[in-house]
Amino acid sequence: MNDPGKEISRLAFDERGADYLLAVREEYGNAGPAFVAKGEDVGDIRTDIPYQLVTILRKIYPYMEDGKIAVVIRRCEEKALNELIKRGIIDGDRIIRIGLACSEGQIEACRCTDPVPSCVDIGSPGKGWNEDQLSKELSAMSSEERLDFWVAQFRKCNKCYACSTNCPVCVCDHCVLEECTFVAEKGIPPGMAFHLIRAYHLSDKCTECGECERSCPAHIPLLTFRKMTNRDMKDLYGYESGDTETVSPLLTTLEGDLLEEEED
Amino acid sequence: MTDFKPSILAFCCNWCSYAGADLAGVSRLQMPPNVHVIRVMCSASVKPEYVIKAVTQGIDGVLVLGCHIGDCHYLTGNHRTAKRIPLLQKILDEAGIDSRRIKLDWVSAAEGEKYQKVVTEFVEEIRRLGPNPLREVRF
Amino acid sequence: MKIDHVLTTCPYCGTGCNFYLQVVNERLIGVIPCKTDEISQGRLCIKGYNAHTFVQHPDRLKHPMIKEKGKMRKASWDEALDKIVSEIKRITSEHGNDSVAVFASAKCTTEENYLFQKLARSAIGTNNVDHCARLCHASTVAGLVYSFGSGAMTNSIPEFEDANCILVTGSNTLEAHPLIGSRILKAMENGAQVIVIDPRDTPLSRLAQFTLHQKPGSDIAWINGMIRVIIEEGLFDKEFVDGRTELFEELKQVVQQYTPEEVEKITGIEPKMLVDAARTYAKADRSMIAYAMGITQHSNGTDLVKSLANLAMVTGNVGKESTGVNPLRGQCNVQGACDAGCLPDFYPGYQKVNDTGANKKFRGAWKSNLSTKVGSTITSTMEKMESGEIKGLIIFGENVMVSDPDIAHIEKALNSLDFFALVEIFPSETSKFADVILPAACYAEKDGTFTNTDRKIRMLRKAVGPPGEAMPDWKIACELGKKFGAEGFDFSSPAEIMDEMASLAPIYGGVSHGRADTEVISWPCPTKDHPGTKVLHVDGFKMGRGKFAPVHHSPPNEEPSEEFPMVLSTGRNLFQFHTGTMTRKSPKLEQEAPEPYVEINSGDAKMLGIEDGSRVRVTSRRGSIALVAKVTERIIPGTIFIPFHYAEAAANRLTNPAYDPIAQIPELKVCAARIERS
Repeated sequence: MNDPGKEISRLAFDERGADYLLAVREEYGNAGPAFVAKGEDVGDIRTDIPYQLVTILRKIYPYMEDGKIAVVIRRCEEKALNELIKRGIIDGDRIIRIGLACSEGQIEACRCTDPVPSCVDIGSPGKGWNEDQLSKELSAMSSEERLDFWVAQFRKCNKCYACSTNCPVCVCDHCVLEECTFVAEKGIPPGMAFHLIRAYHLSDKCTECGECERSCPAHIPLLTFRKMTNRDMKDLYGYESGDTETVSPLLTTLEGDLLEEEED
Repeated sequence: MTDFKPSILAFCCNWCSYAGADLAGVSRLQMPPNVHVIRVMCSASVKPEYVIKAVTQGIDGVLVLGCHIGDCHYLTGNHRTAKRIPLLQKILDEAGIDSRRIKLDWVSAAEGEKYQKVVTEFVEEIRRLGPNPLREVRF
Repeated sequence: MKIDHVLTTCPYCGTGCNFYLQVVNERLIGVIPCKTDEISQGRLCIKGYNAHTFVQHPDRLKHPMIKEKGKMRKASWDEALDKIVSEIKRITSEHGNDSVAVFASAKCTTEENYLFQKLARSAIGTNNVDHCARLCHASTVAGLVYSFGSGAMTNSIPEFEDANCILVTGSNTLEAHPLIGSRILKAMENGAQVIVIDPRDTPLSRLAQFTLHQKPGSDIAWINGMIRVIIEEGLFDKEFVDGRTELFEELKQVVQQYTPEEVEKITGIEPKMLVDAARTYAKADRSMIAYAMGITQHSNGTDLVKSLANLAMVTGNVGKESTGVNPLRGQCNVQGACDAGCLPDFYPGYQKVNDTGANKKFRGAWKSNLSTKVGSTITSTMEKMESGEIKGLIIFGENVMVSDPDIAHIEKALNSLDFFALVEIFPSETSKFADVILPAACYAEKDGTFTNTDRKIRMLRKAVGPPGEAMPDWKIACELGKKFGAEGFDFSSPAEIMDEMASLAPIYGGVSHGRADTEVISWPCPTKDHPGTKVLHVDGFKMGRGKFAPVHHSPPNEEPSEEFPMVLSTGRNLFQFHTGTMTRKSPKLEQEAPEPYVEINSGDAKMLGIEDGSRVRVTSRRGSIALVAKVTERIIPGTIFIPFHYAEAAANRLTNPAYDPIAQIPELKVCAARIERS
């Protein structure tokens, strides 16, 4: 791809009427997030470093009173954005999507089953993977073996909260993981409850972007855990997260009517 | 294994199951002694986090008992529970914690005998499963 | 609407992770790890993720202040600076230049530290400049200079991943250097054997294949024991020993008496464990040693460091990738502050102040008459303050009232001063004693460089402006220098300061902001076209041959007695950092570890009637503090551990200021104490 920056800038500002652009840019020999206003130089845009731009967008969005923001967005990020729109956290009309199709290498790294954004602007669509090898292996194990595996993994946890800090759909105002009521262990590792609570909380939101796994300093295969619980959600309720309409089954009655908002 | 005394929590909804448990008691029905009853206002107030906490801290089994569907004092509270618990069971299974350690059932205020049956069977089930392996795990 | 993502370096430990600060209209709102950074690889620890929270805290110092009739009042910059200069000049004219000392800061940039020592040496005229490296790795510098000729980490952080064996001792790596810990975890995944030797169970030791618990202060014994096993069993690297080292026969002689059984008597380590660990370390193709305060903070710290160097050299694990002796440095820029010459015996680039050549060179460059007398260390400065020999003190960002050993002694020392100026970002326990306080900019508010633990030059970039009238330390140092009437303090940017330092310190010869902006350079980097040096001592040691140090075990300065039956050790936990000036103002960190505690073995606790969560009192010969007991099996019987972050129960009220004769590092890791219910 020769200079995707020009194309992205043209799409965002000229064709789709954005006031701002959120993308990844090279600066100081490193690639990092860049937020550019219309008319400013977009610089050296990179599309090969998987920053989770929806997380970054969600953090700055409350400070943005007006204007349309264009975001260079992969399929998983697009789905995460939809989850945020569905929950009323972001106004979908203010976001302009510039679809980025992931490279083969990225698809492999994420064992991604759904890599093609709804509108491909940059990159060429790759073929998704059928399954995650590790989830398959884990499912074939006895529950004792599985427990041993996860205990060994979670033992490495350093409680950096990267998995929730960098997660695009971790949206509670107050995080129960920070409460000693639920995560009793002081110090590290935080034990099993930390990871199980997170798994439960994400079961109707996670779009398998893999940011938790990428940013985990303990190299815990968190994406595999996410994929396994997402599969459960699908088996139980036929639900898959990632669109702006389908209400989470955890928020409806057995007949599918909307439940009232739960208070904490 | 014979001297394994399981430690079990039973979350009982104030309006039905707790009254059912009470009735079982008043009726002098024989019940295993290993169950700690926790009275909650609705089965929906049993946050999944509570169950996770109990299991990860070594409780051998958790019973969540609510009103029958349609009888909820808060109309749809138990619908919420009915959606949550199966999901929670699946997640625990994925992590290697036997989901049979968690059980959801409906017991009305009039069902003292059902309460006895549910509790007795659950305790038996947990006895068969043996102690929660997380009891011995040190992180 | 102005939204920026500014790439900068983490202000906590010496790992040197880079991250982006998210800035919205001059407000810091978050931290995003840099995915292409070769150190952090898009990962951070909890402190890193919260590194933005203290910066714009309302308690930040915003104005210069002067103490008048016992009370602090606001002052103008000119007034405050003039006051410092006139007071210091008064003291030096009455008592000589060496009656003043300057403490530099491992939290400031290398450029700023360069100016601090220049200020002391050229403007004030004393070599009395030191910084907190004295309390952490002074013994490393002394020990490794003896053994290898250079006192820094021999290898680089990414190399941990490719090691076959990693020996970690006296380092709670997963808590104190989490992103180096991450590399060790990766190495384990790749099949590396990890040996942890520590009196406590640490999060890493629970994962390691070998965990050995030694009694605090007995380290030379197990190291010599391992060397003996390696020599006895012919596992040593004869080629390396013959070709690149000296004094091997003497070493062989000394270690002879450290049989596994003898070592057990001293350290409590089972003979079989010792032998297995020694074999594993010696047989692995690439073995790395990582260590930290558990080795250095002893009254024989220098010998301890030398012993580790012995172990590495015996097995030929020096001068190759993924080997070496790797001190993990605890402060973001403690390496840089040492490099910049904030040590009483070294000019920038480790050039000795009492070397006539070096003295001449710096005289010429700074156009000033420089003393050749080696200055006073922090530890001895404290003693000289109490005795009245040192009467004036300038501290750039150090909270000595929490960080230094035996706080009662520090308090007396500060009270004995004629004049004390402090440059800080927050009011601290130490600021109460200051006559003048100057508000400084913190890491997010200035440009400059940090040098991390593996000698990499890491850029700091200004993300937001400082609060109120606060100024970056380099500007403060420039202003002071000019007001002292010294030449060479007209800098308009940190880049210019680095250029001057590069021209004088050969190891930084090729370093400039222009290069460091886009390149990751590790010193030594002597010329503009030199790529930097990741692995030290590849082609030989600086002084020719590596030198073995035949050293014997000696007991710690203070041993348990009837009155003080426990051994007290101090250290860090994951969530707090040092004296807590920054972390305790970060809500998420404070909530994870809000109160001081003492770890005690469950057996000891039972005997003393102490339960988990009981209020207890811990007393040593120097002081007493009240705190909460944390009963655990993860510390060996007879030993207690207190993190030193908490001013309300400062562990350093108890610690022993006895120090290593060479490096003058205090024995913060061992003192005798008593614990009782309160």
